[in-house]
Amino acid sequence: MMILQILRSGPMHGYALVQVIKRTSDELLQIEEGSLYPALQRMLKAGWVAAEWGTSARNRRVRIYKIMPAGRKQLEREISSFERMLDGIARVMRPAES
Amino acid sequence: MKWNLIRRRRLAAEAAEEVAVHIEEKVADLMEAGMPEQEARHQAARDFGNAMLIAETSREVWTWAWLERLGQDVRYAVRGLRRDPMVALTAALTLAICIGANTTVFSIVNSILLRPLPYPRSERIYWVSERMGKDEIEVGLGPDYYSLREENRVFEDVAARSETIVTWAGTEKPEQLDAEQVTPSFFRVMGTQPMLGRYLAPDEQGVKAPDVVVLSYPFWRSRLAGNRKVVGSTITLDGKPTTVVGVMPQGFNFPNGTQIWKPLDMDQATSLRSLSSPIRLVLMLARLKPQFTDVQLAREMDRLTHSIHAKYPPEFEKGGFLTGMKIYAVPLQQWITGDDRPALLVLTGAVGLVLLIACVNLANLLLARSGARTRELAVRMALGAGRGRIVKQVLVESLALALPGGLAGMAVAYGTVQLLNAWKPLMLQGYPPISVDFTTLVFTFAITLVTGLLFGVAPALAAAGVSIQDSLKSASYTHSAGRKAARLRQLLVVAELGTSLVLMIGAGLLARSFLKLASTDLEFPPENLLTLRANLAGSRYATAESQLRFYDNVLDRLKRLPMVRQAAAAVDIPLEGWRMYNLTPFQVAGRTPPPVLQRPEANVTTVSRDFFRTLGIPLQAGRVFDLQDSPRSPDTVVVNQAFTRAIFPGENPLNRVLVYGENDSERRTIVGVVGNVRAADLGSEPTPLVYRCNCQGHDPDFSALSFVIRTTGDPHAVIRTAEGQVHAVDRDVPVFDIKTMDERLADSVSTQRFQLALIGTFAVIALVLSALGIYGVLSYLVTRRTREIGIRIAMGAQAGEVRRLVVGESMVLALLAVLAGLGGAWGLTRYLQSMLYGVTALDGATFAVMPVVLLALAIAASLLPARRASRIDPMAALREE
Repeated sequence: MMILQILRSGPMHGYALVQVIKRTSDELLQIEEGSLYPALQRMLKAGWVAAEWGTSARNRRVRIYKIMPAGRKQLEREISSFERMLDGIARVMRPAES
Repeated sequence: MKWNLIRRRRLAAEAAEEVAVHIEEKVADLMEAGMPEQEARHQAARDFGNAMLIAETSREVWTWAWLERLGQDVRYAVRGLRRDPMVALTAALTLAICIGANTTVFSIVNSILLRPLPYPRSERIYWVSERMGKDEIEVGLGPDYYSLREENRVFEDVAARSETIVTWAGTEKPEQLDAEQVTPSFFRVMGTQPMLGRYLAPDEQGVKAPDVVVLSYPFWRSRLAGNRKVVGSTITLDGKPTTVVGVMPQGFNFPNGTQIWKPLDMDQATSLRSLSSPIRLVLMLARLKPQFTDVQLAREMDRLTHSIHAKYPPEFEKGGFLTGMKIYAVPLQQWITGDDRPALLVLTGAVGLVLLIACVNLANLLLARSGARTRELAVRMALGAGRGRIVKQVLVESLALALPGGLAGMAVAYGTVQLLNAWKPLMLQGYPPISVDFTTLVFTFAITLVTGLLFGVAPALAAAGVSIQDSLKSASYTHSAGRKAARLRQLLVVAELGTSLVLMIGAGLLARSFLKLASTDLEFPPENLLTLRANLAGSRYATAESQLRFYDNVLDRLKRLPMVRQAAAAVDIPLEGWRMYNLTPFQVAGRTPPPVLQRPEANVTTVSRDFFRTLGIPLQAGRVFDLQDSPRSPDTVVVNQAFTRAIFPGENPLNRVLVYGENDSERRTIVGVVGNVRAADLGSEPTPLVYRCNCQGHDPDFSALSFVIRTTGDPHAVIRTAEGQVHAVDRDVPVFDIKTMDERLADSVSTQRFQLALIGTFAVIALVLSALGIYGVLSYLVTRRTREIGIRIAMGAQAGEVRRLVVGESMVLALLAVLAGLGGAWGLTRYLQSMLYGVTALDGATFAVMPVVLLALAIAASLLPARRASRIDPMAALREE
């Protein structure tokens, strides 16, 4: 979900994606950097993202991923269900807090 | 496919490139932050994780991962097996034998029990029969056939038939044909259309039916050269020109072996329910209409039983003839396989047990192997293989082991089936040849897979239980996983030995029963006896005198042959069964006559003068037939011992008179008592029997007699000359069924021998496998305990004590197995009952001896490992760790 969310703001290559994830999550999410790639491949296969060869900031040949309409739809679905979950958690937590 | 491969390769390259770029970028970033390159590379690699694994999982997204992994496992398995050819060979051999045996038995079962009969909608063809009287005899009564045909509401048609033999003039010499007299409805019931011409027309039945015949395919093919113009031509049957009206297609073979079908000589008008005229006995078949179920059929048969029973005049009921009368229908296939069904199922069970034992054995073998491979597996797991993956790999390995075995087993079965068809044991003679068909192939494939999984499960579970750290640390198997595996292997061996014991007890029971049968006292020496049959059917021998003359002529000529000591003729030969329904009621002169239908009955058979001398049946009192018995002398009979015991207990039977005939008109005097000769099979008790002499010229239905020739040497040497003597008297008389008495004797126990041979073979295979199994486990235990045994020896244990330790281990396992096996056998041998003669299914001797054999085997198998244990060098054993 996070990957799709990031890609929604613009196409990006793998290494950059890792950097963004690290930054946005304040290094909280210590993912193994490599585990990103199988996930990207799955999304490619599902048609959520598309990839094309481009160049990185350092002028290296890299694969740039961009989100596809199917990916957007998927993201919306996931967000809504994620929000519902958050909503549920919040409702359970509130009485305890008060 | 090729495109796919190229695409896959490209994908893999792209994924690898992407990963490389990622790491390069990271290194560049880190170096920009001031890290030296070496360290930056390490850092990047650490953060990235297992690059290989990731590249692989990325790639898997695009491929049929499971298929690829399977391919990998298979390649790995094959490589592993090549490293361990002995294991592969043992497995392949074991499975070739066991799967071969299973496939063979299955192809028999499939051909006989499972595959439908080769007639259209054959599941609707029923065998119809009646059961009645105090002895529950099975009959089909002529008048009832007509009633069934007219009154039933569920059958499309009902047919009557009767087996007979017919003399065909032949092309070179006369031949005996197995013929079937049938009603025209027979062909409608069977549902098969003729290949050429037509089948019997509705008016072609009864005594006055035209002389027409329908030929079987094999007869038409082999004897009439497959001539398609044969329809409408005539062949000579029983001396009469008979018109061929049709030829049935290949595969139409009912009853099995029938060569021709001709009209049944029975008429409704003369089929009366009367005690004063003989009632024609027929066999019946019917085809059920499609809309009726079994339940409706059974109800209809009950209704018909009632209404037909009511048609009989009261004197039938009074005589007890109709007691418990029941008309019933069973599916034809079920009837055909009736007696053989339980035996076939027992065989299937037994051979299944053998396969189970093989599985256990192979499981043990693989366990030993995976024990040795614990470290290898642990390394693979440490390198990132999941436990699931390891289990899958071990299973794939066992399947890879099983498949060659399955293929070889298929070949073994194919060969065995050919052998069986060539040899044709009596048990299979009533059936078409056994064939290996697609169903059999599927079956073999299925049991191969099941076998592979079955013997793979234990090793796979053991592999999944491998503890990475322990295994990598230790060099020997002294750890808990090892101990668990050892326990598992012991359990498997107990199961294996127990199953073997069940099979051994089964084989033992069959062997005892067979020996009992084979050692039955025949009451006459069977050596140097030749028997052959001749059939006088045909107009030339219409009278008793002409028949008698023929037999006397032939016997005279036979007796003059140099190699012949004595010759005789008889209607029935021992072991071939007295002709059915030859039970004749009589009464004893001088006793108060019992009511007509409560008279004693005994089989009556006819022999020539020298019958008893030729066979060597001992005379116990009085005399046998001789020259004073002639058509002009008073009727005399010779009875057997069983007859004397039943009719004249404690009395002298000699010179007593038996009264026969409707008006008590025939009086026959007993002149001699002879020993009992078994009529049908060796397992049956001798029945009371009355012999008459053909020399008194009384029996007009005398057309098929057997000659019995006592020779001075090998009876086979006499066959040609004996046949020649018959043809010298009349070259139109066919000679057939030529066999020595020894051959008939062998035939009479052939089915038992066949069953014993099969189950015995299974038991031997089981025994060998078990011996290997227990040997393997003990060797393994000795290896596992090398250190312990080494310490014992170092502490002063004697070689004998060490040996006892190992043998003792084996005894414990065997004793457990004996307990389990006896329990299993106690529960299972009851299914053998129908195959046993003179032995109960829980025969004490067998149940006592076989466990001893098993224990002896266990000891024998443990001797080698025991010796090895006692020779362990304590220093070497201790240093090993």
